[in-house]
Amino acid sequence: MAEPIVKIENLIVEYPSHYGMVQAVDVPWLEIRKGEVLGLVGESGCGKSTLGMALLRMVRDPGHIASGHIWFDERDLVSLTEREMRDVRGRRISMIFQDPMTSLDPLQRIENHLIEAIRVHEPQTARAAAYGRIVELTDRLGIQSRRLPDYPHQFSGGMRQRIMIGLALALNAELIIADEPTTSLDVVVEAQFLDLLKELQRSLKLTILLITHNIGIVSELSDRVAVMYAGRLVELAETLPFFEEPLHPYTQDLLASVPNIELDDDQLRIMDGVPPNLIDPPTGCRFHPRCRHAQSRCSRQNPPLQEVAPGHWVACWRDE
Amino acid sequence: MTLQNATDDISLLGRFLRGRKWYGAEWYITVAGGLILVAILSMTFLTILAPSVLPFDPTDNQVGAPFTVPGAGLQVALVLADFAGTIDIPTGLADLEKTPGVVRGSNGNVYLSNNNIKRTRFNDLTELLAGLRSGEIVVAVVDAEQAQTILADHGSEFRQLGEPFGDRYWLGTDQRGRDMLSRTLAGGKTVLLVAVLAALISGISGIVTGLLSGFWGGVLDRVLSLVMDSVYSFPGLILAIALAAMLGPGEINIAVAIAVVYIPTYFRVVRGQVLSIKEEVYVEAARSLGARPWSVLFQYVFPNVVPSLVVVFSLNVADAILTEAGLSFIGLGLQEVPDWGWDLSNGQNYVAAGQWWMIALPGLMITLVTLGFSLLGEGLSEIYNPRLVEG
Repeated sequence: MAEPIVKIENLIVEYPSHYGMVQAVDVPWLEIRKGEVLGLVGESGCGKSTLGMALLRMVRDPGHIASGHIWFDERDLVSLTEREMRDVRGRRISMIFQDPMTSLDPLQRIENHLIEAIRVHEPQTARAAAYGRIVELTDRLGIQSRRLPDYPHQFSGGMRQRIMIGLALALNAELIIADEPTTSLDVVVEAQFLDLLKELQRSLKLTILLITHNIGIVSELSDRVAVMYAGRLVELAETLPFFEEPLHPYTQDLLASVPNIELDDDQLRIMDGVPPNLIDPPTGCRFHPRCRHAQSRCSRQNPPLQEVAPGHWVACWRDE
Repeated sequence: MTLQNATDDISLLGRFLRGRKWYGAEWYITVAGGLILVAILSMTFLTILAPSVLPFDPTDNQVGAPFTVPGAGLQVALVLADFAGTIDIPTGLADLEKTPGVVRGSNGNVYLSNNNIKRTRFNDLTELLAGLRSGEIVVAVVDAEQAQTILADHGSEFRQLGEPFGDRYWLGTDQRGRDMLSRTLAGGKTVLLVAVLAALISGISGIVTGLLSGFWGGVLDRVLSLVMDSVYSFPGLILAIALAAMLGPGEINIAVAIAVVYIPTYFRVVRGQVLSIKEEVYVEAARSLGARPWSVLFQYVFPNVVPSLVVVFSLNVADAILTEAGLSFIGLGLQEVPDWGWDLSNGQNYVAAGQWWMIALPGLMITLVTLGFSLLGEGLSEIYNPRLVEG
């Protein structure tokens, strides 16, 4: 088993609001292993993107990391100064954003974006040398070097998302956080993009935290899958066991509600209820109001994340 | 392409050039404003670089007689009809045995005096003609317009000697005999210098404070916003008057007095833009790559603020010109330099007496320059406004 590159411990991210403190992320424990693709799934608002931002210490104001540790390279990212954290961003951990249409500065040429990405951390590198590196990099991404002086608006969404990968890869970051990288792409472009990402991941042995609500993408790319519900981690498993034998009731319902070509229409499940309000979350297990297997204990005590089979972790009292 | 792509992602110049296709009318407004400005600015620069293009010294009293009507000033030499000798006009006037006669305070008197020619002065035209008839003088120098009337009435008695000579005052003169054309041309320099200087001072201070305030927020933002809102709540001209009275005369002082009034305009625009741009994903993406706050501010945020600044600057210069003219009008502006506002305030005293030309041109110029900058500013703001691109 590869060694962990990131270890999250008791991480709590909070957003203050007029109605009280919103606990967006409450993850007791999570590891990302070197060279793996960890799929992080959950519905909108479950805290998966916030978790990704927390890894870069870039949770949007007024949100903040309330407590916990993020161990990376034997240092706790939570306790680093802003200056030290800037050194980590881009060079050690980088991010691919959801919407490539808005994540490039409209007034800067592509080459400038890429050269800047290198020179932010290596100011001693001459522009010419940096240019040589980005030509090599973009060639790998399928962007012709004659297009480098173009502006972002001259590129399609798929091309821009490739440029975003280029920015993330410019300094060989050890961990890449991809926050719903294909949400704004159409299906054909999405497939091309995923192929490219898979190819790059294999050849460069990238470690990727793939945040998505698209179960299909996870099944295709991930080595392991983590499921979040209402800010908490409810299940973590290798991809194959996860899809074959999901253990948490939420995961089971989630997978059952995904359209599948082998299923008949009437077998497609629609999950009851709505995700809870995080200002006043349900006591105990946060899923218990919607759970088909809820027991009296579920509303009183929060189930810990337990290893029920080798490498398969679940937070549910039923599996005890 | 979606609406947003069409506008947000194209460079400043590119957007301007494509404007004709996208915007129609607004584009022509911009061009019209631009043309007016090009004309006035090039005229002004010409007078700065080559003061010799001015027909007369704009500050020289007694270039001509007071209150000369526009287009007047040419002189004609009259002699008796039976005058037999020859005189080179006007050079010969200096060598006459009997000095030429003029009416006191006339353009003829001023002309001969400026050319150091001795002359005999009469109180009015009747005495001058009587002097000519009695042989006290041989040549009478009168305005060309008067000569026509005289010759029409007493054609048999007098005749014109040689061609008309002397200076023509295309826009007349003021009560001190200063040439209005020269003053109007030279006044542009003063007005534009003060207005552009004021716009630059207020622009730089407003942009810097706006950037810092919007980007860093917190206490700095609250304090700056409070200060700027207080300044903004003053009526502009009143504040400028108070400052101008405090600082005293002088180009820089006037510019500063005007600039203070407009700092909040820049501050508000920049701060608002920074607040919205700093939430853009590309700024977040830059931060996620480890960019330092300063480089985020100057590489990613500031360039995206610039388009709105072009518009504010143009409108601001227009406002500053009006304020400068206003200050001069009430006597707090510059002294002893040609200045449209001063001429306007000076000329208004004589309008009732029929000397309309003393306010007409300075007033027209103030209107035109302000109009030029306003049209340019409005046009640009339409062009850079993404909401108007549809259709």
